[in-house]
Amino acid sequence: MRKFIPGNLIVILTGFILFLHSCSLGSCFEETESLVKATFYNMETGKTLAPDSLTVYGLDNDTTKIYNKTAKLLKAKFPLNAADTSCIFIIRINGITDTMKFSYNSYPHLLSKECGYTFYYTLDTDSHTTNEIDSISITKNAITTYDEENIRIFY
Amino acid sequence: MMRRISEYFISILVIIFSSLLHINGQDTITFPLKINVGIEVIGPVNYLVEKNTFSAEGYISADLNEKLSAVLAGGYLNYDYSQYNYTYLNKGIFFRVGADFNLLKPKKSLGKYWGGIGLRYGLSRYTSEVPSFSQNNYWGEAVSLIPAKTSWGHFIEASPGMRAEIFRNFSMGWAISLRMLIYSGGSKDLRPIYFPGFGNATKRFSSGFSYFIVWNIPYKKIRVIIEKEEPEEADETEDTEGIRNSEDTRTPANRQQSPGNDFR
Repeated sequence: MRKFIPGNLIVILTGFILFLHSCSLGSCFEETESLVKATFYNMETGKTLAPDSLTVYGLDNDTTKIYNKTAKLLKAKFPLNAADTSCIFIIRINGITDTMKFSYNSYPHLLSKECGYTFYYTLDTDSHTTNEIDSISITKNAITTYDEENIRIFY
Repeated sequence: MMRRISEYFISILVIIFSSLLHINGQDTITFPLKINVGIEVIGPVNYLVEKNTFSAEGYISADLNEKLSAVLAGGYLNYDYSQYNYTYLNKGIFFRVGADFNLLKPKKSLGKYWGGIGLRYGLSRYTSEVPSFSQNNYWGEAVSLIPAKTSWGHFIEASPGMRAEIFRNFSMGWAISLRMLIYSGGSKDLRPIYFPGFGNATKRFSSGFSYFIVWNIPYKKIRVIIEKEEPEEADETEDTEGIRNSEDTRTPANRQQSPGNDFR
């Protein structure tokens, strides 16, 4: 057998086979959007409490709702506008409407070669009306694609 | 008196010299040391096919002995990559310095075959840029860019491979490169996606495949001691043959390759 397959031919052929196997395609399976992750708390007990009904939409963007009378949602996610430094949400908890404003700085972040770039944010301040919401506290001001709580909404 | 002392020293020198020639009765072969100049061929071929990434790479190595070679490699990369929401450009040069270790026995390789592993330290200087990227979400599309920035990247590499002589003084071979990033030159948020010499820098480890055409320039011949092959246990009927083999295990070919006048 060795007589018919010279050593140098083996070297060349194995190289070609390895090269063909080295070609691979990549896909993006990661979360690509940085969202403000909020948890709802009962202001009297200090414990988590999901609203019976939650509606959220952006100011001047009421035709597309982020949440529309969603029931028993304990953790809500708010998308930020990377083209601006603040955005305002209309939030209706158990039928009572409040307004929340987030101010932030955005910066680009590389996720991966497959998923490309996204915007990360640093949350500076929040302000809100107090019809149903009692207070909002920022627990982590770095808004990233990681699944971690950023704010607590007490109502 | 002086003559006796001279004879004594000459005798000692003769004994030492002959012991060098036949250390423990081992055989030697002539092994050519070469300077190797190689160019990588997959990069230019890929450019002809894909047109968006051009890479060129070459190396020069010098055999220090039958097992070890010192290697200096260099190359250029012009990388252009587009995904659904961004475009990435990277252009720069790289150098690698290190050693190749031939794991083949000298009797098998004979200076024509190489099978082993290379170890390298790599340094890259590049300019990367993201001319545009965009993101769509609830608020619409946001478009931004990352301006050009020049950085240095550092990495180490292990590259097992094989080479074989195809014509006199020309060989071909391949190597798999397994690289570990030491420093990419980018910040935590803006690591380079790809940089010269290393490849995909979004992960700590990268791999690659190279195919080389190599010009081998012999510059010196050395004598290499080869391990004496143990004579196979002979049958009683072959005892006399076994005794003859133990006196001289060299094949006629080996004996022919061992002229004493080219001893290093």
